[in-house]
Amino acid sequence: MKREAITSLLARRTFLRKIGRAATCAGAIVAAGALSVTKKVAAKSESNSSRASFPTKDYDWTKHQWAFGVDATKCIGCLRCVEACKRENDVPGDAHHFRTWVERYVYLEGDKRARVDSHHDPVNIEASGSEQEFRFSNRYQGAKVEKAFFVPKLCNQCTHPACVQVCPTGATYRTQDGVVLIDHKYCIGCQYCVQACPYGARFFRPKEQVSDKCTWCYHRITKGLQPACVEVCPVGARIFGDRNDPQSPISLFIRNNRVQVLRADTGNAPNVFYVGIDKEVS
Amino acid sequence: MPKHIVRLIVLLVASGAIALIAKWFFTVESFYEYGHYRADSVPEIAAQEPVYKTARYCQSCHSERHAQWSANNHKSVTCETCHGAAEGHPEKGKLPIPADTVKLCTLCHEAMPGRPGTQPQIQVAQHSGGQQCKVCHNPHAPKIAAAAIKVTGDVAAGRQRAAACASCHGAEGISPNDTWPNLAGQSAAYLARILAAYKSGDQKDVVMTPMAQPLSDADIRNLATYYASLTCRTIPSTTRIGDAAAGKALAKNCASCHGATGISSNPAWPHLAGQKAGYLVNVLKAFRGGLRKDPTMAAVVRGLSDADIDNLAAYYAAQSCQPITEARKTP
Repeated sequence: MKREAITSLLARRTFLRKIGRAATCAGAIVAAGALSVTKKVAAKSESNSSRASFPTKDYDWTKHQWAFGVDATKCIGCLRCVEACKRENDVPGDAHHFRTWVERYVYLEGDKRARVDSHHDPVNIEASGSEQEFRFSNRYQGAKVEKAFFVPKLCNQCTHPACVQVCPTGATYRTQDGVVLIDHKYCIGCQYCVQACPYGARFFRPKEQVSDKCTWCYHRITKGLQPACVEVCPVGARIFGDRNDPQSPISLFIRNNRVQVLRADTGNAPNVFYVGIDKEVS
Repeated sequence: MPKHIVRLIVLLVASGAIALIAKWFFTVESFYEYGHYRADSVPEIAAQEPVYKTARYCQSCHSERHAQWSANNHKSVTCETCHGAAEGHPEKGKLPIPADTVKLCTLCHEAMPGRPGTQPQIQVAQHSGGQQCKVCHNPHAPKIAAAAIKVTGDVAAGRQRAAACASCHGAEGISPNDTWPNLAGQSAAYLARILAAYKSGDQKDVVMTPMAQPLSDADIRNLATYYASLTCRTIPSTTRIGDAAAGKALAKNCASCHGATGISSNPAWPHLAGQKAGYLVNVLKAFRGGLRKDPTMAAVVRGLSDADIDNLAAYYAAQSCQPITEARKTP
């Protein structure tokens, strides 16, 4: 009888000891959590006030409104833009991933519709010799060509971008200076945006498993440079600038030409303005 | 209210509250700062380093090239369009244009349906016979000064004026020594261009500059027409330099302008066949050293050694200048 009482007392004591330890641990965790919460509260209340100019020290995105122009009457289809873009933005090397591209429209005599090809057409890959180099094959040499022209294409950085609307994680968004960007840390690779874009401007990076697209070289334009494709274009077919500046190349381009946008009917309100394209270009 | 419903409501409210707190806790600070995205991602993207550095970056070291390029027809084509991105240059190595200039240049200049008519375009197969573009065209100043102007002058007046030239260039335009060039049968457009260059100071020579300065434009036309009307003669050179056979191989690079045997197809460019070897050596070296300025020739001679120059001179000096005069006479 006495012995039983002692064992039950011992059991109670070990139980209480365990409880005590558990309580200490829980207390420590709660304390640590509370500490991090207070830190977070402090950080959250701080962050809004500390930014004088955003996104960088020397660049305030509220002061700019970027836009892009394409003069298809000047384009010679040399594809230096495609190469420069790939290099500048570390786009996967094969011919089938690209942020910008150039389409060739050819109407042969008697044809009702244009024949369209781009650098990733097998004939053109063969002409360049590899997928890392880009050139248009002279495949219509000697053919009876009624009309032909080149059209550079890129992301339209729409004012009402469908891709942003469908993104489930807030990984893509439109900046205040008018560029649609992708936060690769928040992109989950669902590719809704690739589907949603009416211009086929987005692609999927297979290695990183994220969506990607033209950013008008946001890292360049925020440093006062031109996008890489504009920089290397030998004929001035690509025009870039700030619409807030009435004397910028793009403002002059829009003012002095009758410009049009692609697929205005989708309501995306694109910001790439075209001159010299034809009815079949969309 | 029944007890189990109250419990359910309490549970729902509690889990909702936990969810809200969890969302607040796990959402990064900058997420709603400007909208439904992480504001910090904007400076992250903006921080990426440019790979293409622009022509201004190149200018900081290559100011001479930059000056030549920006004054010529390729000025709309920036350095990096042909040389590639300047990132890592000069630390990681040189940035030459691709060795296969035919492949590079035809990206823009191959005649192709769809290219605007204002773009200079060539039929690749017929243009150079497989020669590299760099052989004739200086990429920084691509236009070859070849607009041959038709020169018409008075032969008799030219003969009179040429009396002053005879002591060096010979009475009949055949120079008595190896250093001064023959002029007989040379193309008039070329002669007129060079005389005008001496007169304006674009080209300088201790003897020729004072000779050319008093000439009027009409004098230049008359002289050029006179010398072009004379019949050239090939006089075997007394001094033997270089190896003509080796020169022949090198001369392939010159053929598209100066003809296979030194008889130029375009009157803006000089005939070389039967010219004095010593004179040719001097001129080539002058081009190489920059004393005579011509963007095309500068590009061509850049890679020539002294021996190459001797060989080329020997080759052209040994060619007969006659076929042209005959070819010219027959319509």
